[in-house]
Amino acid sequence: MAINPIAFFVFGGAALAFSMMVVLKKNPVASAFSLVMVFFCFAGIYASMNAHLIAILQILVYAGAIMVLFIFVIMLLNADEPTFDLRRTSNVVKAGAVAFGLAFVVMLAIVFKKSNIIPLNAGFSSEEVIKLGGNSKVLSQLMFSKYILPFELTSVLLLAAIVGAVAMAKRKTGKSS
Amino acid sequence: MELSKIVDPTLLTISAEHVAALRPYLAMFGGALIGIVFACFSLTNRKWLMAGLSIITCLVTGYYSVINMGMAKQVLFSGMMVSDGYSHFFNVLFAFIAALTIFSSFRYLDRENLHYPEYYILLLFSALGMMLLTSALDLIVLFIALEIMSLSVYVLVGFRRADRRSNEASMKYFILGAAASAILLYGSALLYGATGSLNIADIMKMATNTDHGIPMIYTIGSWLVAVGFLFKVASVPFHTWMPDVYEGAPTPITGFMTTGVKAASFATFIRILMSTGFGSEAAGLAGTQVETILWVIAVLTMFIGNVIALTQTQLKRMLAYSSIAHTGYLIVGLLAAPHTDLGYAPVVLYLVTYSIMNLGAFAILTILSGKSDTRLNLSDLSGLSQKHPWIAFALAVFFFSMAGIPPTAGFAAKYYLLYSAVQAKFIWLVVLAVLCSAISVYYYLRVLVQMYMRDPVGSENEGMTPAWSAFVVAMTVALTLQVGLLPSKMVDLSKRVVETLKQ
Repeated sequence: MAINPIAFFVFGGAALAFSMMVVLKKNPVASAFSLVMVFFCFAGIYASMNAHLIAILQILVYAGAIMVLFIFVIMLLNADEPTFDLRRTSNVVKAGAVAFGLAFVVMLAIVFKKSNIIPLNAGFSSEEVIKLGGNSKVLSQLMFSKYILPFELTSVLLLAAIVGAVAMAKRKTGKSS
Repeated sequence: MELSKIVDPTLLTISAEHVAALRPYLAMFGGALIGIVFACFSLTNRKWLMAGLSIITCLVTGYYSVINMGMAKQVLFSGMMVSDGYSHFFNVLFAFIAALTIFSSFRYLDRENLHYPEYYILLLFSALGMMLLTSALDLIVLFIALEIMSLSVYVLVGFRRADRRSNEASMKYFILGAAASAILLYGSALLYGATGSLNIADIMKMATNTDHGIPMIYTIGSWLVAVGFLFKVASVPFHTWMPDVYEGAPTPITGFMTTGVKAASFATFIRILMSTGFGSEAAGLAGTQVETILWVIAVLTMFIGNVIALTQTQLKRMLAYSSIAHTGYLIVGLLAAPHTDLGYAPVVLYLVTYSIMNLGAFAILTILSGKSDTRLNLSDLSGLSQKHPWIAFALAVFFFSMAGIPPTAGFAAKYYLLYSAVQAKFIWLVVLAVLCSAISVYYYLRVLVQMYMRDPVGSENEGMTPAWSAFVVAMTVALTLQVGLLPSKMVDLSKRVVETLKQ
């Protein structure tokens, strides 16, 4: 399903602008909030491609949960002092980084243009998905049938992460020396 | 509305055979859960309770895996993972590695005041991740299993929180590891975009059956996936994190990482290469130049690892660089495998012997190290043969084995590996590997000279060697010599294991 070009350029352009602000803003909280806006723009693009569930998840998970965590960390660490000063890095490094980034983007653009893709699971075009009852229905059915193993393993991963976080945070550092 | 098109009711049930095939994984996970419950009810004041529980868990896992090794191949969860001889063979190896690590860390944790239940729980979770990694058939499962393994190891590396080096190592490993995971994930996404499937076998089918060549996205995706794995095994352009992490991590964990993480990554690599038909004439991968890239990486890894190891005086760093060099030999084996009738058996054999001798060597370093992992410089070993004759003997066996000198396991494995490379007509690669191996003899023997031909420094006697660690050392020495003297059994086993991969 083709995306409405107006929606694409509005959301895409805004996403680019906010991404620039993430990098250029001096204040870390302002950077973080720009990133939230970037996520909202992505959600807009997803929604205009008929992927409503992913759009909602994008907002809930990224803009909601992950960014709040980011902002907590920024505020807790009191990261007002910039530890990295762009002016001090040499121009060669700066130019190299920009050139490398541009080369990577151009390479990806060429690759995506040149590759003619024939999807294996042809049943999953967006028209087909709508016919089957919409994004969230199809996705949840797949998640609890075909993809049940990755789904359950994710909870194992989270459990391991929680134990790890407890191990890192709980102990008294002064005790052993 | 035709919903049954997506949901196949058989996917929602699980048969008795499937449960039987899953027993090793369930045992390992169950052990970790019981550990968490113990920790919640503060039953962990008795230290041996947690250690005993973890060891029993590993034993049960190993037992079920040995039983399952004879079972027929089963594809589980609609092609998400597979239970075959190969995966269960590696399950035994991981359970073994975890058990020996627990044995050698018991006294270590006492000495460092680090006896926390999380240590054991994370170790079990990490072993579970390794087990799932080698049995994954789907890129999503593979990624999640890799993360279960890595996340636990990140924390274990930084377990000595009061130590600055340990923190630094953990942070470095975490940030670089996260970047590598991101690269791997992006590669998987590109592969999915190119083929429309996440299943490894389906991806290959798609790539070989296309009439108009391989899409470029596929090439880039396979490169990025390879980079993710090459980072985990620390081959040369992605090796810089390794010496610092090895030095900073608690010594038993260094042994666990260098054996477990590496074996798991290589075992998965073999499975992917095998099911993608790497090296065979019809392979779509031929167009992706993976073979050329691996050739260059193998040479660089062997050479740089060995040469830098020459200059190291800190034992853990020296072993880190030697471990990089061993990665190079293993990649030689990967390259040769498709062109010989031996297949991947030499690589599997090499992984097993490498794990045994490294576990032993790190168990000894754990015994010898002072508080906070000091006293691990080369000069601290001088005259060890007079203070601890048996430990010096064991360390000599392991270093002979790593250098590939008969009659040790390292010789048998290296001989078999290079033999397969000669068969595959990679003559230059073999010449370079032997040259690098000759370089490595110098720094291994330097340790022996220090132990046997110098006078002891420091008169204080460190006291008894803890029985738990002595058990590990005795066992690994016995296995090293056993495989070295009578390799045929191990060779047969690895051949049979690789055979099950093909069906």
